[in-house]
Amino acid sequence: MIEATGLTKIYGDRAAVKDVTFAVRKGEILGFLGPNGAGKTTTMRILTGFVPPTSGRARVAGFDVQDQPIEVKRRIGYLPEHPPLYTEMTVQPYLEFVATIRGVPRREVRARVDRALERCGLTAVRGRLIALLSKGYQQRVGLAQAILHEPDVLILDEPTVGLDPSQIREIRQLIRSFAGDHTVILSTHILAEVTMTCQRVLIINEGRIAAEDTLEGLASRGGRMRRIEIRLARPAGATEGLADIPGVLRVQRADGADGALVIETDGSRDLREEIAARAVGQNWGLLEMRTLTASLEDIFIRIIRGESA
Amino acid sequence: MRNTLAIAWRELRTYFASPLAYVVIGVFVLLSGYIFWASLVRFSDLCLRFGNNPYVFNQLNVNDLVIRPLFGSIGVIFLLMLPAVSMRLLAEERRSGTAELLFTCPVTTLQIVLGKYLGAGLLLIVMLAITFVYPLLILTKVSPDMAPALVGYMGVLLMGLTILAVGLFVSSLTENQIVAAVGAFGANLLLWAIAWAAEAAESFTLAGLLNSATLGLWEKVGLGTGGPTLGDLLTRLSITEHFQDFRKGLIDTEHVVFFLTAIVFALFLTQRVLESRRWR
Repeated sequence: MIEATGLTKIYGDRAAVKDVTFAVRKGEILGFLGPNGAGKTTTMRILTGFVPPTSGRARVAGFDVQDQPIEVKRRIGYLPEHPPLYTEMTVQPYLEFVATIRGVPRREVRARVDRALERCGLTAVRGRLIALLSKGYQQRVGLAQAILHEPDVLILDEPTVGLDPSQIREIRQLIRSFAGDHTVILSTHILAEVTMTCQRVLIINEGRIAAEDTLEGLASRGGRMRRIEIRLARPAGATEGLADIPGVLRVQRADGADGALVIETDGSRDLREEIAARAVGQNWGLLEMRTLTASLEDIFIRIIRGESA
Repeated sequence: MRNTLAIAWRELRTYFASPLAYVVIGVFVLLSGYIFWASLVRFSDLCLRFGNNPYVFNQLNVNDLVIRPLFGSIGVIFLLMLPAVSMRLLAEERRSGTAELLFTCPVTTLQIVLGKYLGAGLLLIVMLAITFVYPLLILTKVSPDMAPALVGYMGVLLMGLTILAVGLFVSSLTENQIVAAVGAFGANLLLWAIAWAAEAAESFTLAGLLNSATLGLWEKVGLGTGGPTLGDLLTRLSITEHFQDFRKGLIDTEHVVFFLTAIVFALFLTQRVLESRRWR
């Protein structure tokens, strides 16, 4: 549904996006994950035709973004980072206006607007001035605006920013409900968002794709890497004493409690028994032992830092 | 077409949803109404004073003494006020981020430009329509010649539309409304006053200037240094010069063509500015 090849965008002497290539299949929900300023917004703006790429090509639903922008725009619903609201309008006329310029046939405008209002939980505020709505409702109006014309492709830039937890959950459910019929790309810097809504993740950092994987794939990257935390009563000499066990990559003093050590292993086999035996044999006074599985958060941060996960 | 109308309609609603339309219309009606009243009072005073002097009395004419000055003043008020109408058209759109909506919707830049322009133009028409009460008021007591008055309306409308088109262009260049207003005001004032230097520039012919620019080559290839002067050119560029005949009730295609060309050119430039976003 979406193919991006070698997208690069250079602002002045700074490259916002460098050689980004990816593809999204129909009905899939793809998450763009990355720290602020990583190039998520720029990539989305290129896909929507708002910003031209310096080089590279993007195709949406088979149409080239640069050569056939109108065809592409017809098939896209886009919620920018700051919802594009005419704040001096009330909700319903605003949505009717957007429906019109998005090419919804005149006869269907009313029905589509009603449906979008309902899906986004806006029916009660349809007559209110947008400027007077809370941030959460404004965000919903932004989302309603993007789904009005039932586009094939939905591009959502940080859709849950500024919402309270219950609203966030509603919006996530809404986004998940688009899977299947619509292709969705959403960006976020919140990891939980990706885990809850997306099937596949693209981690972007400093304008480049740092990793591309399914959620399971990412999680298993954490699984391969086993870490064991132990706590010793007498840790003197333990850091060196454990390092020579085959399979141990590194032994570090953990933050916090005295005598706590984190042992990173290569994950090829379970080392817990050996570590325990060594600790008892050396009389270090083993108080505690547990395995640490790397959370997605850790994996994310490691990928961002460029370490191998 | 549907997109253009939708954008124009939304634009017009926005004017009336904010204080801007009411302030602009209110101030405009107040000023033009005062000027109309003042010239009407002067006219009736003259009529009273020369009532027993048939020679002068027959020269007094409501078209010349009331309607014609009214259009002159409306022109000046437009020059001062219309930049306030045009300033927000594209600048505000960029500042508030709604440009991102317009530019990612399946509408062309031409439709956006025309829609915006039409929206502002409709406000202008509303303003002018209200002033139509003035000639109607006169009509209750005397019978002015209505045809020259209508031509005068055509003139101010064309001039107002030109000022708006220039303003729209300036508005496309910035995201700051104040900058857009000052820029539009400056550009229009320049077009207004450009003929003031015409007399001094009478002594330079355009061909002569080209001749000095090409270090005499122009004359050597036999192109000559006669023809229109720089003064002529400046006069032809002036909004005021082209407006005068309309006030007198004359329709000269030269002037109509001037205003229409200026409008089309300004809209074309605006469209290019918006389009440049795609390759910058």
